[in-house]
Parts: sequence; structure tokens; C-alpha cells
Amino acid sequence: MSLAFNETSNVLQARAEHNEKLARRADRTRATWFPIVLLALLLAVPALQFVGNFNYVIHLILFTACYAVMASGWNILGGFTGYISLGHNVFFCIGGYFAGMLLARFGISTLLTAPLAGLVCAAVGYLIGRITLKTRGPSFIISSLALVMIARILFDNWHFVGGANGVALPANDLSVEWAKLPYYYAFVVLAALTVFISYKIKHSKFGLGLRAISKDEIKAESAGIDTRTYKTLAFAISAAFVGMAGAIWGEYLTYIRPNIFLIILVSVNMVLMCILGGKGTIAGPVIGAILIVAFNEIFVATLGSSEFNILATGLIMALALMFFPLGIVGTLAAKHRLPRFLNWD
Amino acid sequence: MSELLHVSNVTAGYGDGPAILDGAELRVEPGKVHCIIGPNGAGKSTLLKAICGMLKVRNGDVLYKGESLKGLRPDQVLRKGICFVPQERALFPKMTVRENMRMGGFSMSDKSGLEKRIDEIEELFPILKERRDQHAGTMSGGQQQTLAMARTMILKPDIVMLDEPSLGLAPKIVQEMFSIMKMMAAEGITILLVEQNALMGLKNSDQGVVLDLGRTLFSGPADDVLRDPRIQDLYLGGKKAA
Amino acid sequence: MADIIQTLILGLALGGVFALMGSGLSLVFGVMRIVNLAHPVLIIAGAYVAYWGFRLYGIDPLMMLPVAIVILAAIGVVLYKLVFEREARSAKYSEMTVLLTFAIAMIVEGALGGFFSNTQRVTSPDYATDAIFIGDVFIPTGQLYAGILSLIIISVLALFLKYSSFGYAIRATTQNREAAELLGVNVNRVALVSFAIGIGLAGAAGCLVSFVFSFFPAKHWEWIAVLMSLVVLGGMGSLLGTVVASFLLSVIAAFVGTYVGATWSTMTFFLALFLILLVRPQGLFGEKPELA
Repeated sequence: MSLAFNETSNVLQARAEHNEKLARRADRTRATWFPIVLLALLLAVPALQFVGNFNYVIHLILFTACYAVMASGWNILGGFTGYISLGHNVFFCIGGYFAGMLLARFGISTLLTAPLAGLVCAAVGYLIGRITLKTRGPSFIISSLALVMIARILFDNWHFVGGANGVALPANDLSVEWAKLPYYYAFVVLAALTVFISYKIKHSKFGLGLRAISKDEIKAESAGIDTRTYKTLAFAISAAFVGMAGAIWGEYLTYIRPNIFLIILVSVNMVLMCILGGKGTIAGPVIGAILIVAFNEIFVATLGSSEFNILATGLIMALALMFFPLGIVGTLAAKHRLPRFLNWD
Repeated sequence: MSELLHVSNVTAGYGDGPAILDGAELRVEPGKVHCIIGPNGAGKSTLLKAICGMLKVRNGDVLYKGESLKGLRPDQVLRKGICFVPQERALFPKMTVRENMRMGGFSMSDKSGLEKRIDEIEELFPILKERRDQHAGTMSGGQQQTLAMARTMILKPDIVMLDEPSLGLAPKIVQEMFSIMKMMAAEGITILLVEQNALMGLKNSDQGVVLDLGRTLFSGPADDVLRDPRIQDLYLGGKKAA
Repeated sequence: MADIIQTLILGLALGGVFALMGSGLSLVFGVMRIVNLAHPVLIIAGAYVAYWGFRLYGIDPLMMLPVAIVILAAIGVVLYKLVFEREARSAKYSEMTVLLTFAIAMIVEGALGGFFSNTQRVTSPDYATDAIFIGDVFIPTGQLYAGILSLIIISVLALFLKYSSFGYAIRATTQNREAAELLGVNVNRVALVSFAIGIGLAGAAGCLVSFVFSFFPAKHWEWIAVLMSLVVLGGMGSLLGTVVASFLLSVIAAFVGTYVGATWSTMTFFLALFLILLVRPQGLFGEKPELA
């Protein structure tokens, strides 16, 4: 009845091997040339305007970059720290309105005031975070929804900023072929910056602390991590990025209005992009942004009506959550099949 | 020897995760107290959960009186005659002691004898009789463990499995728990327990099983397990007078 | 004075309806520990059932109640089998499940909007525009009937939970799922039936709401936060809590609406939600809506 084991050392060695088998090693090889080449290509795209009218393409890339900024920003709170916010478009709105009002009143372009808008959002985010981050998990999600509802009512009734009708913003004086360019470059640069900062955060002690919080907050706390400060900082930083995107977006649209910023589709898209691409990874939000914008264009072209759009978005989200909860980048990485050019972590 | 329960070469794990159990073997003889010991992560709790149906048995089989338990739900395994008390004790904190006992009889198809049976068991455990209207969540650890074990007796099961019954209890109370186990064994219940406190567990049991790395390394009479120098070295903290 | 009594009565009537709306949500949370963000949109689906019954066949919404309950309960069974059964088995409850319910809400909204368009609808049986007068106080009969029926349905639910053997199994599963399973409860079946009942309740609520509020597919966004506030204030998983919180908040909101302004009455719910989550997340009578 006893299975053979001769010396105690056999057992100890067997234990060490067993543990080794269970351990996972992260793939540290990286293809840094890829994002750099991609960036260079994107910066060069507007040159196409010399040969023809590519305004639509420029708009698409601009739109994708805007969402890439927001998704990457959201990822810092949702992916790194594990706090899922369904109401992050509140900061999209605050940033848009702050910079937009400065533009409307003083004529200063949002391209200059965007960083300031980011700071304002960071401050507001810090304050809000101090309050809402006291809740966990589903309660936090619910509180973020309540936040959007409250913001919507506030902005709809705030006459200083035009209430539900919003405020029209002056367009820039460039000719039709070049009008989009300042915003194009602004968004592409901002996207690159957001990705880069995400990367830096992920590889810092701060990022490690956030990851610990996302796995098990109580244990992180007992390990000595100041979870409250870390969480609120993550909230503030993510709010800043979303806010900066909002600032530039407002001027690009030449209009700021609650139902541009505070519709549920915006916040859902942010979340969905991260889930589809890979929550908590660096490349994930960007890939997610590209995919969702592509899907959107296809759906609008084929299905037209906005309600079917919502159905399709919901369906993609449901399928992603049920079958690919780690997202594209995450699932591939877990199976050790991630192509190197996608490994931006 | 006719064994009541035979776990043969079982592989099991949590969800899609790695196999915690890999080739676990176990033979449970009727009427005896069996104690499973082993280091953390060896798969002791996993083994009990696989037997009672909380975890899926991936490979191998679990035979109970010749019948396979593989693929059954925990409530089905219960009806076959195997009770499981997990580490968390599985009590209903908002229900009273009496109501918890009543829940113990949930799976009885004929509930007419239930109240009488509860009374019978209360006689064996005066502390439960005393506190029958107290909310289970407000009782001490030892009282909760007593309640959990007493509750299993309502159905007159063949086997009761206990996952770390001594967890969080003072040594004196632990001794009481082992007396209760002996009382249960006297009533004809076969006991299978997992114990972190290997020394105490083995001292109070008839049979010992050593689990490590997901497989059974050694099994035999508890005294033999206690006295084996290799086991003492690996699991009992070095050579000691047993 | 008549004003105050009137506001109070309106608040109470609405409270009854909201209590019914929230009861299904609370039940599902209690058994499955899932916050079903799709609950409000399924209430709207129930409203559509009543609406089309009235519009196409002239059937009174109150008569449509059993139809709506059955149809929505069936949808609940389908949803459970397709989506939640495997989630429950993976034993890893996380925020992802809540997001999943959010995705389902979008799917249902999209389907409703695609098939029925975004026009505002309301069922208009005669009593919806009628009122009874008691002295100076005017009580709209639509709200009154909806409130009374909601309370009747909730009472039936409460009796079922307390006195039937399946209700006993539900209560045990709500308190400690693992313990219930180990003591012989088929928790998967309990979850399935509870979910079906919960969605059926949504259907009933939708039926009653169809003549009280005008509705359209996207309206559920307004109700998500309202329902959440009720269920969180009352305590997730506690039917009594949901009922108490519904009456409390509805009455307060009614007064805010009358004396401060209609737009601000919905704010009452959102602010209450915010406050409760911070001060006492488990609400008045409930469990914390996070990993146990």
C-alpha cells in the first residue's frame, strides 16, 4: 500500500520540480521597432493630402487615436488596478468643457490648454476617487454609473455652459485639406505619449503596487502598500488622459454639448476596447480601439440604424467577456502565442 | 478487506487550472477514523472536494460501495451517504442552531422523523441543546465546529469527511473535537479527516494517509505512519518520540 | 396640507411599483451574487409586451400580467442557460459578470429598438388618465392600481419564500451557497428558478409601468441608477430592505419633485446611492455586494 520513496531528499527534490512546473515565466523579448515604425508611418500619413482627398482616412485615424488615448487612460484604472469604471466619460466631458469654454471665451486653442484640462481632470478625479474608491468591485461599477447620471443632469441644467444645447466653438482658419491636421497630430502624439506613460507606469514600483491591488487588495494592504493613495493616483492619472482627449475632441467637433460626451456609448467603448484588446496590457487598448472603430464603421455602413449598432456592440462585448476575457493580447500571451510585435508590455 | 470508498489514481484541479491531484489513491475502511496529512498545496482539501463532487474528477475514479461517484453533484453524493464539512464549516450564520440542524435534514425525503432525530442528537451534544435558539454566526469556533459535526449525524451517513476540523481552535477544544469524532465512529460513522496538525491528527486516528505533490506517498495504520522515520523527517518536524 | 398628502400618496404608489421593479434584482443577487444591470431593460421588455397586447388586441395591461410574467420568465431561463450557468460554474465571481449583464442590457435594448423603434410608447387604458378624489386630494388611478398590484405580487413572493420548501432552498442558498449545496440543495436548479422568477418579476413590473411612465428602449439607463439605489440602500439580497428603501426614497423624491423641481427628483436616487455606498455599503438589511 505504500508507494515507493526511498530518501527524504527524493521527495524534496520532487517538490522543487513540481513547483517549477507550475511557475510561469513572462516573455521578455520585445520588438520595439514596431511601435516606433508605426508612429513614424502615422506621422507621415497626412502627406497623402498632397495627392488627393484623404480627409476620411485622416478622420478615422484621428478618431482611433482619440479612443486609444481614452482606452489607455482607462486601462490604468481598470486594467492595472482592477477598478472598472463605466462612467469615465465624465472626465471626457469635464476636459472638453474646460478647454472648450476657454476657447469660446478667450480664443485659446485647446491644443494649448489640453494639458491644463488634463490637470483639472486629474484634480477632480483625485477628489472623486477619494470618495468612490472606498467601494469595491460591483459597488464601484454602480457608483461610476451614478456619477454619469449625476453629471448628465448637472450639465444639462447648467446655463453658464449652455445647458443641454451646449456651446458652439470657433473652427480654425486652415483650408479644408489641412484643417484636420493640427488635431490629427495632437491625437497621434497624445496617443503615443499615453502608451509610453502606461508602459512606464507598468514597469515601475507604482505599477507593481497597482497590480497587487488588482489581484487582492486586502493582501496588498497588509503587505504595506498604501492602497488608498495608489488607487486615487491611478484614478487621477487615468482621468487626466481622458480629459485631455476630451479637450481636443471638443475643438475638433467645434461643439461642446452633454450628449456628445456623456452618452453611454462613449464609456462603453472605452471599456470594450480594453476588454477586446486585453485589459491590463499596453498594446491591448490600442488594438481594441482599432478594432472597435473598424467594427463601428462597418456596422454604420451596413446596419445604419443606431439601435442595431448598440445590439452589435453589446454582442461583441458579451462574446468577448464569455470567451476571451483576457482580450486578444492577453489570451495570446497566456497561450504563449503572442507575436512579438504585439508584445508592448 | 471490503473497502467502503476507493479513490483510484485521481487527477483533479480547480477550474481550468493545473492538476493539484495527480495520482491520488485512497482506501477507506468502514468504522475507522482515517487521517490525511501532508504539506500545504499537497491536495488534501482538493481530494475531499473531488470525492464529494465539488470539483470535477478529471482522471481516475472514485468508487463508493462499488458505484462510481464521478460526475455527481454534491447534493447527489450526499444522498448516497457521504457528508462533507469544509474548512469554513458551511453553517448558516443567520439561522439558529436548531434551524441549522433542521437544514441538515433538508435532503430527507420523509421529514416526519426529523424533529425527533434532532432531539436525539441534541442529547449527545448538550452545548447545542443549551444554545438551540442562538444564531449560529455568534457562536465560538469550537461551538460552530461541534454544530457542523453534529449536523452531519442527522442523516446517519456512512462517511463523514472533515476538512481541518481543528483549524483556529485551542488545543483543549481540539481534544474535544476528537472525542466527538470517536463518538461518531462509535455510532457507526466512518470518518475521513484532513489535518494540518499531523501529530495530533494521527494520534487520534486509526489509519493515516500521507499526501504530497498530489499523490499518495504512504498509507497504513496511524501508528506505523507516526513511527516511520522518513515521515517524521518530512512531515512531523524531525525525529521525535511519537 | 392637501398638497403634502397628495405628494405622500404619489410617492407611496410609486414606491410600490419601484419595490416590485427592485425585488427581482434583489432576489437574483441574493441567490447568484450577480448585480444584473440588464434587469431594467427587461422591465421595459415587459412593458412592450403589455403595450402590444393592448394596442393589437385591446387587452388591458392588468390582464396581460400573467402573459408578461411567463414570457419574461422564459427569457430568463434562456438567458440563464446561455450565459449564467457557465459563469456560476467557473466559480470565479468578478466584476466581469456584472459587465456581462451590461452587455446583455445593450443587446436587449438594441433588439427592442431595432424591432419597435425609438418612439415613446405608453399603454393607455382608461384608468391611466382617471383619478379619484378624496376631499381635496387627487389620486391618479393608474398609479394607484399599479402600486396596489405591485404590493400584492411582492406579498405573494414573500409568502412563497417564507413558507414553501423551494423558498426554503432559495433562502438557504442566499445565505450560504456552499453550505446549501453540501446539505442537499441542487443549487444550480435553485439559481435557474430564482433567475426565472426574478426576470418574471421584471415582466410584471414592466406591465404595470407601461401605463404609468412613457417608455422607449433607452429609458432603462435612467432606471439602472434608480433601481440600484433602491436595492443598495435596502441591502442586496433582502426583499424587505428593497421594499422599505423603495418607499423611503420614492416619498423623498416625490417631495423633492414637488417642492424643488422635477429634474431634481431623480437626483435624489443618485445622491442616495452615492451616499449609501460610502457610508454603509451593505445597506439597511443586506450583504455587501462584493466577493464574500
